[in-house]
Amino acid sequence: MTWEIAKQAIDYVLNNEQEFREESVTWDFIGGEPFLEIDLIDKICDYIKTEMYRRNHHWFNSYRFSFSTNGINYHTEKVQNFIKKNQEHLSIGITIDGTKKKHDLNRIYKGKDGKGSYDDVVKNIPLYLKQFKNAGTKVTISSPDIPYIIESVLHLYKLGIKDIHINCVFEDVWKDGDDILFEEQLLSLADVIICKGYYKNHNCSFFLETIGKPLNPKTQNTTWCGAGQMLAIDATGNFYPCMRFAGYSLRSKKPIIIGNIYDGIDKNKLRPFLTLDRITQSPKECIDCEVASGCAWCQGENYDAAETNTIYQRATAICKMHKARVRANNYYWNKLYRKLELEGEREEFEKNKCEVKPEIC
Amino acid sequence: MLQYLIILLDKESVSFCSTPPKGERGGGLMPLETLRQGIRFGMMENLMIQYVYPDKELSKEYAEVIESIDHSKIKSLPQSLLKEGRMDADVWVTESIKDIKAEVPVVWRTDKQNLFNSEADIVCALENVPRLNVVLTDVETFTDEDFEKYKQLLSALAKHIEKLYVEGKAPQLNLLTDRMMLQKMNNCGAGDTTITLAPNGKFYVCPAFFYEDESDSIGDLENGLDIKNKQLYKLEYAPICRHCDAYQCKRCIWLNRKTTLEVNTPSHEQCVLAHLERNASRELLNNIRKHGTFLPEQEDIKEIDYLDPFDKRDTWQ
Amino acid sequence: MAMTKKTVGQVTPEERAEIQTLFERRNGLNELAKILTADNAELYEKLVKDMGETGRKFQNWWDRMAEKYKWESAEGGNWEINFDTCEILLVLA
Repeated sequence: MTWEIAKQAIDYVLNNEQEFREESVTWDFIGGEPFLEIDLIDKICDYIKTEMYRRNHHWFNSYRFSFSTNGINYHTEKVQNFIKKNQEHLSIGITIDGTKKKHDLNRIYKGKDGKGSYDDVVKNIPLYLKQFKNAGTKVTISSPDIPYIIESVLHLYKLGIKDIHINCVFEDVWKDGDDILFEEQLLSLADVIICKGYYKNHNCSFFLETIGKPLNPKTQNTTWCGAGQMLAIDATGNFYPCMRFAGYSLRSKKPIIIGNIYDGIDKNKLRPFLTLDRITQSPKECIDCEVASGCAWCQGENYDAAETNTIYQRATAICKMHKARVRANNYYWNKLYRKLELEGEREEFEKNKCEVKPEIC
Repeated sequence: MLQYLIILLDKESVSFCSTPPKGERGGGLMPLETLRQGIRFGMMENLMIQYVYPDKELSKEYAEVIESIDHSKIKSLPQSLLKEGRMDADVWVTESIKDIKAEVPVVWRTDKQNLFNSEADIVCALENVPRLNVVLTDVETFTDEDFEKYKQLLSALAKHIEKLYVEGKAPQLNLLTDRMMLQKMNNCGAGDTTITLAPNGKFYVCPAFFYEDESDSIGDLENGLDIKNKQLYKLEYAPICRHCDAYQCKRCIWLNRKTTLEVNTPSHEQCVLAHLERNASRELLNNIRKHGTFLPEQEDIKEIDYLDPFDKRDTWQ
Repeated sequence: MAMTKKTVGQVTPEERAEIQTLFERRNGLNELAKILTADNAELYEKLVKDMGETGRKFQNWWDRMAEKYKWESAEGGNWEINFDTCEILLVLA
């Protein structure tokens, strides 16, 4: 993205305050790797701050800059200066996939004879945790990652990361038997978390008390995904309801472009996103599902996998993985509460337990 | 449930709704065998057939096959016949209503500018045709200023219609009189109650889907219908429309997809136009009732404070 | 000596919203001050004035609340607010 495009995008958003009435804003910088462009990002953030203030924009009282980074350049002088300058308004997530072996399977430097990036990332973790005390990380599980779930979560705990947001990909990548392997991993992980007492001050979003219940079709009818409630802007200045609808994110469908920095937002193209509900897009098996709560979807994947060009056909590739998760989750809470009851600590635990919110795309 | 089969007899068949005008479609008569198979399909599926004609004369052979099943004919109205009012058609389609006279319902395709300048012609037509269906061909271009002009036109037409009712006549203008009579949605129905058979032997959601992209079919005569995500053409699967009581709205499926990219979601412009019509119908119904009993079984049309139901989505349950 | 925190009271959600907005604004002004220079005279002047005014409103909130709720205090200690729970904490170094 050039500075000119970035500036025009910011001007568009700030010029149209009446169209963006949300109380707060997150200016989210996502990949490639944002910290490779730290000079541009620094200039963009300075412009945003100055312009919000100059215009008396209501967001000046409530904004954040958010980054998803691979963490390799985290320690560099430029990035550190940027962090110091914006410390109170930053939300930074460093992605580590787990152990060195697992991380280096997928995260390899270009042209460095297949060298993985784990060592360069992990050395920055202490600094990261010092600067962001409650920092968490996001882990995504695909079929080949299943055997590494336990060791990856425990490794991240060992590194000092206490809050792990972890979820299965929504794409149809799952092989026969993946759900059983997944369930076994989660059952063993549950045992370790409970036996070693991690449940007291660590989180792993696989285990949530709220998941695995039926959902009322009338009172629990909201859609899951936030597509359309955010504005995503690509390097050329096109607008999308989420980056998953950009051409480079889609396998088999045309991008859904809802406007651009020159002409503004085509509000008609946002209407389907803002009127989506759970029931209208779900097949009967999902509506009748007895363990429906917590079963997530990605609107972009729904669109990409749909038989027609619609966002109203829910993809169900994740179904068997969700059901396996629910079984392991039930086991986790039953085992944990029995232990706490036997030890007379249940009441205290319930009073103090950390709240983990479901991961929303 | 499917009820109607539209058969486009030619690639240059007349446009009778929001479908783009013939333009450069090029000719192409439906092969006789395809027509026979289409009729057979309609019979087997128990569908009412509507033939859409090209301007050109069809041969005797075609006429014979066409007459082999009960049907309606949709034809364009040649200028030369405007004042005569007689022709072999069940629905006439015209681009001009000046001095029109007809014994069958007339579909008038017009753009907004022409419509805004045609109050007198519409009033005249209402006395000379049993029903006038106005089809706007540029709905998606309406601005706030156009909405205001539309509102004023509807208000003026409603006064004329009220007068005609008082005189004991019963003119029909889709924009104003339909809503007074309806108790539930009565919309386009493409993909749900109606499908289209094109000259190439393939089925389409409606003629516009065929004209826009011939590869966008929903089956063919050889293999039958294959409507993917069929439920999305139904009212219950349309989040905005299922909360709406502008029952006369065209709810054009093709325009929905063109403007919002989804067949089940209307544009802002479509919703506002339908609500201006709804509100003008409400006023008309109330005013006619001041002269005496009128449609006593019909409920009042409620007063509402919005023109686009989308703006009320936070109140939906 | 380790820092200790003790809950000494609670404010209403409306009162919490008031101080949270001032807190966010103060942070925003502080970070803006790192990049604005006197060259941008108009904005710089506005910022300086605003920082003073926001600081005053901030202090005024604590004074008003302390007067209203009469929280426990201690020498060398200070109060903190938990924005999630509306609780007031007494922090002792």
